[in-house]
Amino acid sequence: MLECFALFSLATFVQPLTAPEPPRIQSDSPAAQTLLIRSDRIIVRPGEELSGAVLVQDGRIIAVGPGLTAPEGARTLEGAVVCAGYFDAWSTVGVVPGTVTDKKLDPASRVIDGVNTHAFEKVREDLLRAGVTSVRVQGGNGADVGGTGAIVRNDPNSRHGEIALLTDACVAAAVGVSEPNQVQDVFQRIDGVDKLVKLIEGGRSYRDRLTDYDEKLAEWQKEIDEKAKELEKDFKKAKKKRDSDMEKAEEDGKEFKEKKYKEDKKPKAPRLDANKAAMARVEAGEMPLVVEIHRVPEIRELLAKTAVFGRLRLILAGATEASSLGSELAARDIPVIVWPTPMGNTRLDEYRHHDLELAGKLHEAGVEVLFGSGGQGTAGDLSALAALAVGNGMDRNAALEALTIGPARNFDVGDRIGTVEPGKEADLLVLTGDPLAVSTRPAFVILNGVVVVEP
Amino acid sequence: MQYSMKPTLNGYAAVKATLFGIALAAVSSTATAMMPSGDLVIEAGRIITQAGDDITDGVIVIRDGRIEAVGPAGEVEKPWGMNVVGGPEFTAYPGFVEAHTSGALDRANESVDVAPFLNIRDSIDPVSFFFENVRRNGITTLGVHQGNNCVIGARGMVVRPMGRTVEELMIRGEFGLKLSAAPKSGKSRATQAQALRTAFDDLRTYLNETVGDKRHEGDKAGREALYQGRELDEEESKGRAMGGTAWKVDGLEVIPRGELDVKQRPLLQLVEGRMAAFIYCGAPMDVHLALEVARDNGFLHRTTLVLDNSCWKAADIIAEAGVTVVLDSNMTHTELDPYTGKEIETDVPKVFADRGVRFALSSSNSSDQSLWYQAALATGLGLDRAAALDAVTIVPAEILGLGDRVGSLEVGFDGNVVLSNGDPLSTTTWIETVVLEGETVYNRSTDGRNKHLYEGQSKPAGSKSGSMGHSAAGNRR
Repeated sequence: MLECFALFSLATFVQPLTAPEPPRIQSDSPAAQTLLIRSDRIIVRPGEELSGAVLVQDGRIIAVGPGLTAPEGARTLEGAVVCAGYFDAWSTVGVVPGTVTDKKLDPASRVIDGVNTHAFEKVREDLLRAGVTSVRVQGGNGADVGGTGAIVRNDPNSRHGEIALLTDACVAAAVGVSEPNQVQDVFQRIDGVDKLVKLIEGGRSYRDRLTDYDEKLAEWQKEIDEKAKELEKDFKKAKKKRDSDMEKAEEDGKEFKEKKYKEDKKPKAPRLDANKAAMARVEAGEMPLVVEIHRVPEIRELLAKTAVFGRLRLILAGATEASSLGSELAARDIPVIVWPTPMGNTRLDEYRHHDLELAGKLHEAGVEVLFGSGGQGTAGDLSALAALAVGNGMDRNAALEALTIGPARNFDVGDRIGTVEPGKEADLLVLTGDPLAVSTRPAFVILNGVVVVEP
Repeated sequence: MQYSMKPTLNGYAAVKATLFGIALAAVSSTATAMMPSGDLVIEAGRIITQAGDDITDGVIVIRDGRIEAVGPAGEVEKPWGMNVVGGPEFTAYPGFVEAHTSGALDRANESVDVAPFLNIRDSIDPVSFFFENVRRNGITTLGVHQGNNCVIGARGMVVRPMGRTVEELMIRGEFGLKLSAAPKSGKSRATQAQALRTAFDDLRTYLNETVGDKRHEGDKAGREALYQGRELDEEESKGRAMGGTAWKVDGLEVIPRGELDVKQRPLLQLVEGRMAAFIYCGAPMDVHLALEVARDNGFLHRTTLVLDNSCWKAADIIAEAGVTVVLDSNMTHTELDPYTGKEIETDVPKVFADRGVRFALSSSNSSDQSLWYQAALATGLGLDRAAALDAVTIVPAEILGLGDRVGSLEVGFDGNVVLSNGDPLSTTTWIETVVLEGETVYNRSTDGRNKHLYEGQSKPAGSKSGSMGHSAAGNRR
């Protein structure tokens, strides 16, 4: 843990290099390359494998299968295994330290604004060498709210506007995560759940108010339109009456007074609130809510309190003690992001019951498992950690899924990346061996159709 | 009509009256603000006009504060009866222009996040020692803006460094709105970006609501008249349709501009492209946010970026966006290679010059690194001479919207001239005389502080010994 933290600090505080020496990782002309990747083992998606080749053109996978030949000018690669690039579901890579540690983020604070494309080139490069092509980044580590997270394609040469696959991938939150020397007791943790639930409720009532306003406004408009029509119809009569009243007033030597006109007040629009709007989207399941939460009491509380939100897409992160809650999580279709890392005895309080078998147990119980590097900024060992989870009882295919299409699908980019299927964007790995063996390394990494890592 | 519309009309009348009052005040203040209009003839062995070739043995004639003629001694007639300064031993060049400074401000920053309703004129101290230093260093025009610690700051102004009151200092009473893409203290990058975008979202919501309410009011007045049997007079529109290119609120013409919230009006002016923006960027990543906000809200073409020296890394996108920039006074960016620990230095002006970005240099707060020093240093860092001079004259003048008034010595321009005993980019040169709109506002021979320092004479009246150290540096020229 400490080690991880040290690495993380190094990663986030180092300043970037100057540009002059030509970068070893190149992706200047993404559209330029046509690739034919031959392999005896192409993992199209976990559990579905074939032998043959993958054809990549203009950044996309064009065809997968046996009998493909290289078009003219295409580059041919070869390797033991081809699979989709790895996806780190829980990361802070490339996010500036101020945003990572910001405890005051709102649901609508966009973490992508804290992603620095002018630094961390080396970090991104290292990640690519380890086969991690995409990450979900969030801010506010351990804070109640971690802002609107983004899915970032791990391209060291990408410019700011281009680096994100999705800028509003989820809203991140945390419950019961300890600060240095400050462990939250169970009541504080339960209180944290209440706060989070209030946020979701706030989103729902905001949406309700908006809908309500629309309805009321339409109603009012209809009423007023009818009234106006009526008034127009009666105008001549009213004019006549007014004229005669005026005359009468003059005769009587009194001041003429206009009739008092009254109509229903126009309904007022609810105040624009970007944070509530973001939570409204979460409540409606338009983006998932990722909650870092570890211990049984608060997970139970969260599950109980969120049951009323039928459309909410809850994803747990960490979930150290969740193995006993597997069936409940499975019944609610709540995925869990697991950080299957070995931890020493300096672990934080919430990781006290950390268990390398968690991923396997959850999967066994029918819970969808996703892998993430714990928001610690180091995702480079993600595939090794996944292998560790397999060693501790997790199903191989499930582990590969947790590393690729699982997170992609859950964060709404599953139609773009995560498998080796025609039509998808070509973020591919050519591996020296089985993806879940620690002795395996990527020989080639292809990012958006461009070879960015060579042996 | 007379019922529902009356308050509005009254409101408008009141606003009009106020505006008229302001106009009157402006007229009277301009009258008092006029410098005693200067008539002066300047002779110099060399005139760097910044508008074509240098002139050898030249003459500049300034009448009523403006340049009436400039050219070789043989071609320009010196009017009878005017004072003459200078001589063949002097080099004359345009007064320097500082595009962005907070130096004259009593307090550079405000605690309110979004404060476009403030004007820095309320914070300028005209008798500040700052202005004396500025004159000593040959700066004759300054853009004064709020400090960088803000989300949206106050409106700035353009001043001359001479006057007893803010009105006397004033060249343009309201120029440029300060924004920051770098996090204000207490914010992180994400929350700063959020605050910056929210300000414009709020403006749009406010305008839409105001237009909606106004329309409703008008419709309601119509229904009221129908009910009462009155004919409704044709409603006069005193507003103006929304300008700008990025986004528009339809129907803004129904709102007299004077009725709009003073907090929102400066932002509206920005979006309509009627106000310049100065956006501070503390890191290269901030440049993306700054350009995005400026682009999304239609004021990119009026944007000047005020850059930290690390922002050279974003030079390519700055060049693409075509905005002007003000460089940090520390023109060499230093960082450590995270892997080798080697120090990497980058000379910033050259990076921007190579990409064709128009940039102005800026003084550091320390007076011994004023614009003359910055320009000289920039040539040492690989910038060519002409570009260095442009960066302290023509470019900042353009940034301040005064490209046709200051920054070069041309007929019709303000008579702002610096006379020195040698080349402006030589560090052994002294500024001898500074002429501001035809008036001599600095003369080294009568510079008490200077004398005291270098000759040990005549302690200047009223000066505390504490400030002497400060001026010491400024005098070395």
